[in-house]
Amino acid sequence: MIQPNKEAPILEMRGITKRFPGMIALNGVDFSARRGEIHALIGQNGAGKSTLMKILAGVYPLEEGELRIQGESMRFSHPRDALRIGIGTVYQDLSLVPQLSVAHNIFLGREAGNGIFINQKADRERSAQILTQLGIQSIDVDALVSDLPLAQQQLVEIAKVISHQPKILVLDEPTAALADEESTLLFKMLEGLKAQQIAIIFISHRFKEILKYCDHATVLRNGQLVKTFAMQGVSEDELVEMTIGERKETFFQQREQNATSEEIVLEVENLSVGRSVKKVSFSLKRGEIVGITGLLGAGQNELVRALFGTELEVSGLIRRKGKAVFIGSPKQAIALGIGLLTEHRKAEGLIVDMSVKENITLPSLALLFRQALLFIRNRSETQAANDSIRDLQIKVGSAHAAVGTLSGGNQQKVILAKWLMRDLDILMFIAPTQGIDVGAKAEIYRQLHVLAEAGKSIMVVSEDLIEILGISDRIFIMYDGQLSQTIDRAEASEEGLLSATQGYAHVE
Amino acid sequence: MSNKVQSFPDNQASVGAILSRFVAQNSTLLVVVLMLVAFGLSSDKFLLPNNIFNIFRQMSVVAVLALGMTLVILIGGIDLSVGSVLFLAAGITSVLLRDGTPVAIAILVGLSSATVAGLMNGLLVEVAGISPVIATLGTLIGVRGLTLVLMNNAQIRVTDPFFEWVAITRTPGIAELDVPGIPLTVIIVLIIYLIMAVVLRQTLFGRFIYAIGGNQVTAHLSGLPVLPIKLLAYTLCGLMAGIGGMLMAAATGVISPGLGAGSEFYTIAAVVLGGTRLSGGIGRVEKTLLGAFILYMVLNFMTLRRIPAEWQQTATGLLVLTAIVLDRLAQRRRG
Repeated sequence: MIQPNKEAPILEMRGITKRFPGMIALNGVDFSARRGEIHALIGQNGAGKSTLMKILAGVYPLEEGELRIQGESMRFSHPRDALRIGIGTVYQDLSLVPQLSVAHNIFLGREAGNGIFINQKADRERSAQILTQLGIQSIDVDALVSDLPLAQQQLVEIAKVISHQPKILVLDEPTAALADEESTLLFKMLEGLKAQQIAIIFISHRFKEILKYCDHATVLRNGQLVKTFAMQGVSEDELVEMTIGERKETFFQQREQNATSEEIVLEVENLSVGRSVKKVSFSLKRGEIVGITGLLGAGQNELVRALFGTELEVSGLIRRKGKAVFIGSPKQAIALGIGLLTEHRKAEGLIVDMSVKENITLPSLALLFRQALLFIRNRSETQAANDSIRDLQIKVGSAHAAVGTLSGGNQQKVILAKWLMRDLDILMFIAPTQGIDVGAKAEIYRQLHVLAEAGKSIMVVSEDLIEILGISDRIFIMYDGQLSQTIDRAEASEEGLLSATQGYAHVE
Repeated sequence: MSNKVQSFPDNQASVGAILSRFVAQNSTLLVVVLMLVAFGLSSDKFLLPNNIFNIFRQMSVVAVLALGMTLVILIGGIDLSVGSVLFLAAGITSVLLRDGTPVAIAILVGLSSATVAGLMNGLLVEVAGISPVIATLGTLIGVRGLTLVLMNNAQIRVTDPFFEWVAITRTPGIAELDVPGIPLTVIIVLIIYLIMAVVLRQTLFGRFIYAIGGNQVTAHLSGLPVLPIKLLAYTLCGLMAGIGGMLMAAATGVISPGLGAGSEFYTIAAVVLGGTRLSGGIGRVEKTLLGAFILYMVLNFMTLRRIPAEWQQTATGLLVLTAIVLDRLAQRRRG
């Protein structure tokens, strides 16, 4: 329940406009936040959420409009200024130093001591105090950050920002990389901060969380304010509608008929990967979409990565079309007709300095566009890239534009186009829609179905249960490295999946 | 020089936008033009055809080395050993010629030794996993030492008529306009440049070089032959150093123990002045040639103005550092 808050907002932004060469990122946006509330900032990628928060955090200069903190007009020339005034921001990409301990990270650059020697003990005590204040008991202040799972690193990052004692805390998609249980923990912590009268601004694509934990929400669309409202009585459908500006009808295309045939294209027996995957066995059929889910670190990522030849210490038997095969490198996997799209789009999927065309044709170049003396067949390459851009409706002015300039959703389509051109039989995806806006998501789901109908076999690793339910023919649950359950879609429910990922037996 | 300039707000005239994009894409060329004008105004000898051709001839060895170096820097590596590898090729060829080996075989063995040295650099970096600076620093010292052993630590004259022919041959000039003929060495550099430009633009090898330099992880996950391509880049850099050694032997006529020492600096300087990104993935061979031209224009101008050698060296160092700083600033503004 929200207490009606008569107090003036701690943060007021009025008429904020931000122009980039050739586009307006924000157009006269008003935004405000009050002490002791969690305020969701919602919108598709490119709606202007991050730009607005970067102006607040002093990353971008305030050019047009007004920014008031506690009624006082502000103008930051550096992120440091914003932090000093009490605006703490936790970005999606962590800024921790992996080789240092938790305590060293939290007080990096502000170590206790006499200016020459660091007072290690004081830093450890201060860090422990902050972690306790946040209600985190599970993290040892002496642990190296590189030894912590991602979810705990996220908590350390928040602790670091909290150590600056901010009045306003901005979280940019903090739960994108977290499994549901870990998000719950995070929100428990945020509730505590809320009680300390901190204003929390929360950017997320996960509507469920927003509905459950946020007090107010502001929706942006195409750089403009759509609405600011109290969360009470708002439904998920309404949120989706406001962000995309139309009713979601074809969001998940329920497939009329299952395209799965009985032909088995891949068989895995007792596959183990280091300590992450333990004796997993399954078979994959032609035209089938298998969804794989589990808590963070349950081994689902390592499983598909092992099938693409990127993991070490892999044991077990893999059969492709009935024949035992060895997959020691991506090159071998591709030769066997297996492709992987990972969650790290820029780091593992794209070459951002190269053009859209060059990215799309990269794996196919040697096979499809080679002529005498290793020359590239330029005209047919450009033609093929243009065909892909049209087929997948990639929004880009020209095939020669640098891929780094595209939005997240369009970049994901470029990576998909890249593998489709190679015409592989088995496509594996890790978090295919992570951080992607609703419109591009729908397009990617549609493509998955088209591919399955065309006889491709698809494996999707995702922690988004709705997504898994919406697209899969069969669902694999990973728990502690094991394939703990296989569930047919007809028998699956969100609640059932949720308890299965926690390690409970599946009950209907 | 920087590849990017400040982006102007779009409410300014579009002429400004077009101009700024042109400046951004051709900044190296603009620097060359500005320097030609400035140096031409302050020295009446500088723009004479004879002097410009002199600059071309003086830069030819470093230009060849820099073309090879561009490949290695494009894949995110660096090769400090080019000066020693140049010496190795020239040294071996001179020893063989002295002992009466036919010139074609002597050149072939010289070039092969340089190519093998390049491959060895590649293996040290990519297979043994040693950082490129350390690995090629080792080659720099070891290869020069080995060559001195082969040459018995004495200087050797190259008197073969073929080398003399390479050194003195020119195309016919235009006597009435006082325009000299183009030296053969300059033509050799241009031919190598043309081959490299076509290879980098039009072939799988070129595309893969840019892909690997841009993002090696993505290249690997896309199934590209990352290791062979990187080895080939180092090997070709060795071959270019070998060709540089032959041109050097022709130009000087004598292989002395210090030959080529320090040329790695001018080589890397030319690549950096040409705007190739030191972390790889971005760069063009034509800009490397322009980079070498900028460097040798400055050296030539200082010589014309009778600036002492020690000050020339100081100024060259400052020029290269300035280019690196400008490049960093441009990248920071972008990121």
